[in-house]
Amino acid sequence: MNKRTLHILQRVGFWILIIVIFVYLMFPFYWALVSALKTQRELIQTPATLWPDQPTLQNFRAVLSSATFLRALWNSTLVSVAVTALSLGVGSFAGYALGKMRFRGKTPSLYVILAMTMFPQIAVLAGLYAVIRVLNMPAIPSMILSYMLFTLPFTVWVLTSFFRGLPDSLLQAAQVDGATMMQSFVYVLLPLTAPALVTTGLLAFIQAWNEYLFALTFTIIEEQSRTVPVAIALFTGEVARQEPFGEIMAAAVIVTIPLVVLVLLFQNRIVEGLTAGSVKG
Amino acid sequence: MADPSQDGAKKVRSGGPSELAKAEERTALWLLIPTFVIILIIAFYPLGQVFVESFRQREFASGNPGTWVGFQNYQQLLAVTMRQLPVELGDDGQPVVEDGEVQYESWVRVLPREPNRYRAVWEFGLFGNRYVVGAITPEFIRAVWDTIVFSVVAVFFETVLGMIIALALTAKFFGRGAMRAAMLVPWAVITAVSARIWEWMLQPTRAGLFNTVGSALGLNDGRTNFFGEAALQLPSMIVMDVWKTTPFMALLLLAGLSTIPKELYEAARVDGANPFRQFFSITLPLLVPTLAVALIFRTLDSLRVFDIFQVVLGRSRYSMASYAQDMLISVRDVGMSSAASVVIFILIFGFAVTYIRILGVETE
Repeated sequence: MNKRTLHILQRVGFWILIIVIFVYLMFPFYWALVSALKTQRELIQTPATLWPDQPTLQNFRAVLSSATFLRALWNSTLVSVAVTALSLGVGSFAGYALGKMRFRGKTPSLYVILAMTMFPQIAVLAGLYAVIRVLNMPAIPSMILSYMLFTLPFTVWVLTSFFRGLPDSLLQAAQVDGATMMQSFVYVLLPLTAPALVTTGLLAFIQAWNEYLFALTFTIIEEQSRTVPVAIALFTGEVARQEPFGEIMAAAVIVTIPLVVLVLLFQNRIVEGLTAGSVKG
Repeated sequence: MADPSQDGAKKVRSGGPSELAKAEERTALWLLIPTFVIILIIAFYPLGQVFVESFRQREFASGNPGTWVGFQNYQQLLAVTMRQLPVELGDDGQPVVEDGEVQYESWVRVLPREPNRYRAVWEFGLFGNRYVVGAITPEFIRAVWDTIVFSVVAVFFETVLGMIIALALTAKFFGRGAMRAAMLVPWAVITAVSARIWEWMLQPTRAGLFNTVGSALGLNDGRTNFFGEAALQLPSMIVMDVWKTTPFMALLLLAGLSTIPKELYEAARVDGANPFRQFFSITLPLLVPTLAVALIFRTLDSLRVFDIFQVVLGRSRYSMASYAQDMLISVRDVGMSSAASVVIFILIFGFAVTYIRILGVETE
């Protein structure tokens, strides 16, 4: 075998690998989409086909006219937006203090927050439920508050390292001009942190959109407050006795597309946020 | 938040450097208060509450204050015993043999019944004898074991696949950006939703993808019940988890790979090292810190697995977390659920600490 054929074989092998990876990553999503476009009759027909015979939007129509599903979409949006806004607000205060100020107890504070990122949600579930009962909180605010268990530590951690990276000279210049710590925060540093805010905000939003354990537990009685993951997990058809997988797949596609768009638009930011802290240098 | 800043402002203008430092300290504390109040309400207080409840017996969501029971919940959860199963003797006093195999007595006759009834977790044979492991709550013991097996196997495959994907993506090729975007798709799908997608693909008839493909290739009869057969439940969960989380692993490793200087590879090539040699003597050693962090993240995450187990298997097979949640919501036993949560918490924290010690990862 000469060098040229070897080279060609290598290229072919490489492309096969790339295609296999691509199909592996995308296939379940493709399958959900194709299944959502099939009629009920075709869905239960065996063997399953790779492509719908008569594509129909019937499943999408059914899902989009379901009050339960629309309500869940609204609930999820409300919860995720609120969690993101609160985490960014509270988190940037903490990040500023931890990243740019000198005070006693800074290192322990950082460690407490780092430890929180490893906190198993299940460990606090029963206690959190008790807190919510005492505060007499409905499910939606309960979710907003409790989701900060996983969004806030991460937000604080990333923003702290971001603030630390900003040059001190900026702050000093602002202080020489007579700005207070808070003024230099709001007018000088905060605008500079916009990229980090976008990254952490996106990740907080996606995590909140994804959350299932708390949502399932808190809405066990309050059915009208269920979010998308719970609604889809507990989805039952209006008519069919069998599990309506066509409609479930349609719902799955509908709730995934906005996230995929978001992810594609902010690809680099998200990768940056996901890998923050894991790689030095 | 307006007050503390104005307060700080006055001090800054009127005082010397030490006043300035004090003002800074005060501002910092004010800035941290919201974070710590929230952490207190949603993490530390509930954790304390769970700890306390684990020593009590109480019905969930009832006004009943409950009673102290000491370590009884833990004993119920963790008590394990092992007994040898005697050979089953027939009416003639000879061992019963069916299909050439010696039959053993059922565990029901061997395991203790008073004061607590033990049920079988596993049976196994060793040196010609047969043993049974019994527990008061076999569901929990099995959940712990299953979760650990699930985590080890899933993280192993995620790491290997993630590494392959990351290495493939370091090459420059047309469509690399599209590939990187495709990697984020599984990650962006809601976990509970991805569980339903896989549930649909793994249907027990040929309406499901895997049974269709399996029967077309002659691998099975097209009626494999992936979630019903005990031996296939964990592998199915692992397949779902690997698909969902491999991209995350690949992204972390890709970021790690990008920090390795290109000159090293050039030097190695000049020295005549083949790609495998390059991988094991340059890539892998330099990737250890990234790999360590990625392994910790992923293992901690998979030990907490809840969504896919709860959505697909429900009460037929538990992960640690889905057991504790089910104990709370369906069985309404706050004490047992809390004790299970404490055990999970200790396991995960113990694991994190040893992992970090062994790998010597720096936190900053």
